Amino acid sequence: MSGRSRKFSQSLTRIVLMKELRDAIRDKRSVMAAMSYAFFGPLLMAVAFFFLISQLTDPSDVEIDIQGAEHAPAFIDFLAQRGIVERQQAWPAGQHPITLEIGADWASNIAQALPAPVTLTADFSSTKQRSDIRRIEQALEGYSQQIAYVRLQMRGLDPRVMQPIDVIKQDTATKGSRSALIMGSAMIFILLSVFFSGMNVAIDISAGERERNSLELLLSQPIPTQQLVMGKALAASCFAMAGGVLSVVLIPWVFQFLPLHEIGISVVISASDILLMAVMLLPLALFATALQLFVSFRAKSFKEAQTYISFVLMLPMMVVFGVEFTNTKNPLLYYAPLTGQHQALLDIIKGEMIQWLPLAISSLVTLLVGWIILRLIGRMLASEKVVFGL
Amino acid sequence: MIEVNELRKQFGQVTALDGLSFTAPEGQITGLLGPNGAGKTTCLRTIYGLLKADLGQALIDGVDASAEPLAARKKIGIFPDKFGLYERLTAREQVAYFAQLHGMNKVDAAVAVQQVFERLDMLAIADRRATGFSQGQRMKVALAQAIVHHPKHLILDEPSRGLDVMSTRILRDLLRELRQQGTSILFSSHVMQEVAALCDQVVVVAGGKVAAQGTPEELCELTGETALEEAFVKIIGTDEGIAA
Repeated sequence: MSGRSRKFSQSLTRIVLMKELRDAIRDKRSVMAAMSYAFFGPLLMAVAFFFLISQLTDPSDVEIDIQGAEHAPAFIDFLAQRGIVERQQAWPAGQHPITLEIGADWASNIAQALPAPVTLTADFSSTKQRSDIRRIEQALEGYSQQIAYVRLQMRGLDPRVMQPIDVIKQDTATKGSRSALIMGSAMIFILLSVFFSGMNVAIDISAGERERNSLELLLSQPIPTQQLVMGKALAASCFAMAGGVLSVVLIPWVFQFLPLHEIGISVVISASDILLMAVMLLPLALFATALQLFVSFRAKSFKEAQTYISFVLMLPMMVVFGVEFTNTKNPLLYYAPLTGQHQALLDIIKGEMIQWLPLAISSLVTLLVGWIILRLIGRMLASEKVVFGL
Repeated sequence: MIEVNELRKQFGQVTALDGLSFTAPEGQITGLLGPNGAGKTTCLRTIYGLLKADLGQALIDGVDASAEPLAARKKIGIFPDKFGLYERLTAREQVAYFAQLHGMNKVDAAVAVQQVFERLDMLAIADRRATGFSQGQRMKVALAQAIVHHPKHLILDEPSRGLDVMSTRILRDLLRELRQQGTSILFSSHVMQEVAALCDQVVVVAGGKVAAQGTPEELCELTGETALEEAFVKIIGTDEGIAA
């Protein structure tokens, strides 16, 4: 290709890009779709985390049934200090009652230094009540130990004889790595934002064009299909990126307002981190758009394309959720499209060193795969079978 | 000049074009007249290079669209069968887009758009978005984008379908004016009046091949009929799929 005609073809790409951008920006539905995911998503996540945190740091009392409380007033006081109190109202339906039964001979057993039977009745397999039951057990153990110490001291023994091993726990979990748990899901959100935000535009400029009967005329113009596809892909990618950048900026901002410190989490994402994350999303935006155009250029209508795309969206979702929740660790993940960006995002929020080479390679692979898909679409549109659905 | 030589096209079991040949010379309006399903649209799509003929070729000034689609398409303006406008663009933006796709730079395109709007008397709607345009206004936009780059060949697929009287008149006047300037105009139609009123030459297509060819008068002479309609029915052997 000569320099002159090359310049011409590039400018054709630009003409298509500018036209599609202008068209899409005027489409309120496309703009809303791109922005709502990025706007409401972080908000929704903030609300969810807010409830999660308040549940984790819940200081409310554990209310249980206590029988025979009159036999052991000191014990009951101790339990009350630990937030375990007698229940006043009935148990809600579906919840098994927790009952603590103190024997009538409690006082005499304690006085004679005999084990005093206390019966704890509960559904020990219930996940909902697990933390309540643990608190009760800890309180029982605590009281038991307290009495044991007193008894040893009264007999002139050092209570430390009961503690042959002193376990010193050193928690190496940094605040950052604990926050990775919560931030991990936020990162999935950022990754998927580029898939969701450009979707509407991608459908509109492919299947929509066919539905409006303008595709055939457009393909009859003197523009190579490759340039046409490239211009359209770049336009949709701009929208995907806009959504991506918005969520990259909004999520750390929203997290500032969450009481994350209450559960020992600190989130510090610097401006340069945000910039890096946004740059990382660039190849992914093109890749996502290419994938969406590939299916929706085959669809005859907007609706049909939406159906196809919702299937295609399952793919990246399954990949990232799969990696996140099975906690898969494989060095290959650092090099592949999507998972490469995912790993890098996780490294950034954990405050770990970024592996630049794998990140560069995965970015290039992502770009390459996206480009190959776009070439395929270009070929597809030059084929009468696809254009006329023969 | 548009030359169609021995075009053959098969879609599965259906033969759409069965050795179709004709020419549309400069300074003439050539009508492709035939019933629905005769192969008119298939023929036009082959000329743009959207469909590839199994045999034969379609040449525009000697350029084969199946070999050099871009070069061929640069020489033609197309008024399509169904014209979808970009509803969110103004008429001016829309026509300028097509001018630029034909290689005009921004400045040249703006000048060309202004000229074609003046010619088609559509300055009043130039900066309105296409949503809410009447059928006649839509036709004007489609027409403007077909001729904005001053093509030497103009191809129209069923141009008067769904147009009101005023729009049809504008269209006819424009086609006569372009003929005067030496444009070769090819248009397909199944409407007899349309063809009789406009065409210098009529190519009657039936079953994917040429059933008869000539001026409207010649066709009448050929069949010994006085009205083109009767001549036409005689030529294709049935009046099915024809609008008077």
